[in-house]
Amino acid sequence: MATPADEIRVDARWLEPPEPMEQVLHALALLQPGQHIRLLLHREPFPLYSILDSRGYRHDTAPQTDGSYVILISPAQDEPPAA
Amino acid sequence: MSMQTGLSFEQAPPFAQPLRFFLTAPLFLLAAAGLIMLAPAALASRWTLPALALTHALTLGFLAMAMLGALLQMLPVVAGAALPASRGVARFTHFFLAAGTVVLMTGFLGADARALTAAMFLLGCGFAVFLAATAIGLRRAVASATVTGMRLAVISLGLTLLLGMALASMRTGGWTPAKDEIFIAAHVVFGLLGWVLLLVIGVAYQVVPMFQITPPYPPRLMRWLAGTILALLLLHAIAPLLPAATEITLVAESGLAAGVLVFALVTLRLQSRRRRKLPDVTLDFWRVGMASLIASAAVWLLARLWPAWAGSDAYPLLLGVLFIGGFAVSVVCGMLYKIVPFLAWFHLQAQLQARAGSIPTMKDMIAERGKRWQFRLHLGTCMLLIAVPFWPKLLAVPAGTGLALSAVLLEFNLLSAVRRFSRYGGRFS
Repeated sequence: MATPADEIRVDARWLEPPEPMEQVLHALALLQPGQHIRLLLHREPFPLYSILDSRGYRHDTAPQTDGSYVILISPAQDEPPAA
Repeated sequence: MSMQTGLSFEQAPPFAQPLRFFLTAPLFLLAAAGLIMLAPAALASRWTLPALALTHALTLGFLAMAMLGALLQMLPVVAGAALPASRGVARFTHFFLAAGTVVLMTGFLGADARALTAAMFLLGCGFAVFLAATAIGLRRAVASATVTGMRLAVISLGLTLLLGMALASMRTGGWTPAKDEIFIAAHVVFGLLGWVLLLVIGVAYQVVPMFQITPPYPPRLMRWLAGTILALLLLHAIAPLLPAATEITLVAESGLAAGVLVFALVTLRLQSRRRRKLPDVTLDFWRVGMASLIASAAVWLLARLWPAWAGSDAYPLLLGVLFIGGFAVSVVCGMLYKIVPFLAWFHLQAQLQARAGSIPTMKDMIAERGKRWQFRLHLGTCMLLIAVPFWPKLLAVPAGTGLALSAVLLEFNLLSAVRRFSRYGGRFS
């Protein structure tokens, strides 16, 4: 799947905790205005949500048919990205 | 928080709270090594005074120390069960457990009734405060198989404590029941198969799938195993008072051996089906632990088939070495290598609101080589300890030396994570 320019794609499926969170925090540091993060994960990252909230990011979680999750992350003041 | 919702970190206690337990535990492993080297009688028969001191250095000083620290951390995070006055409980329990264990060891070594009485007081106070706080916390916990395992383990810890106090009061001349061996057997079995095994089982349900990226444990196993084991432990404890005591004891022990085997085999099978086959020292510690559980069950079975072996001095010692050293110490070492780096990383990023790259990753917290060397030393020591009951004079010093080196390296490795945490500006409380 091609990654659009306004998206940073983080595929953290089957990585050991806390590597998925480390990768998301890394991606947040790289995020440019207007960009969002598309996080792919094998389980729902509940601990991440409170960290995103406290740092001013919104998240939108979509469970996938294969049991994994896609989480779109963007700055809270931006329009939510189209899933 | 249920199993599905995972971990809740807003509830996490300050780093200092569990850390003081984790950094004290290896010191008792070192004390156990000293006993093996200086008092070879410790591994010649389970009934010698050095053997009792050694056993309690391992079970109270190392295992309970690390496990209480881990429970203080995990109850709020995994079970959503905040403990009342957790700071005070952690400080109080840590001090009384450490001091009580030292005084108990002194009491055994010197056959000193006054020290045993003091140890009863110290350990009784320490565990009573911990058990009361945990009982309140666990009442608030959201139900899951992990929480059930923790509840049953904590009940077993309470029973182990009461039986231990009864045994200590017999030694200090308080009272002499007709059959003290019933109390001894129940104390040992509730301590090892109740408190230690049930806690490991409950924690495994959560950490094996999450950290080793395996499929989940079978739901039916999670529903039944821990409760069945506790029921069998109760049956085993009261069996001597029942008619057909021998047969009932055998049934209870067979059931327990089967439960041990099922847990070990299912865990090994799940670990062989993990998603990423990368080397991981914690996984290797778990595998040694599960193999030791299987070996314990085999040694027990051999004793049922061969009564001369059951009556030997070596049999209970070998069972103890396999279960305590091979299983419990291995799993606890493996878990410490996850918990301490995880907490160091977690608190650092939470305190500093750190941008990625500006703090070490969890994997950088303890050098891989140091952990790997400690694993090798631990494995070699376990091999030697298995042989010590047969050749105590020849092997006690090499086994004790191996254990001492392993304990020192474990402490050094844990401290390296703490040093990194503090160098990057982490606050402990």
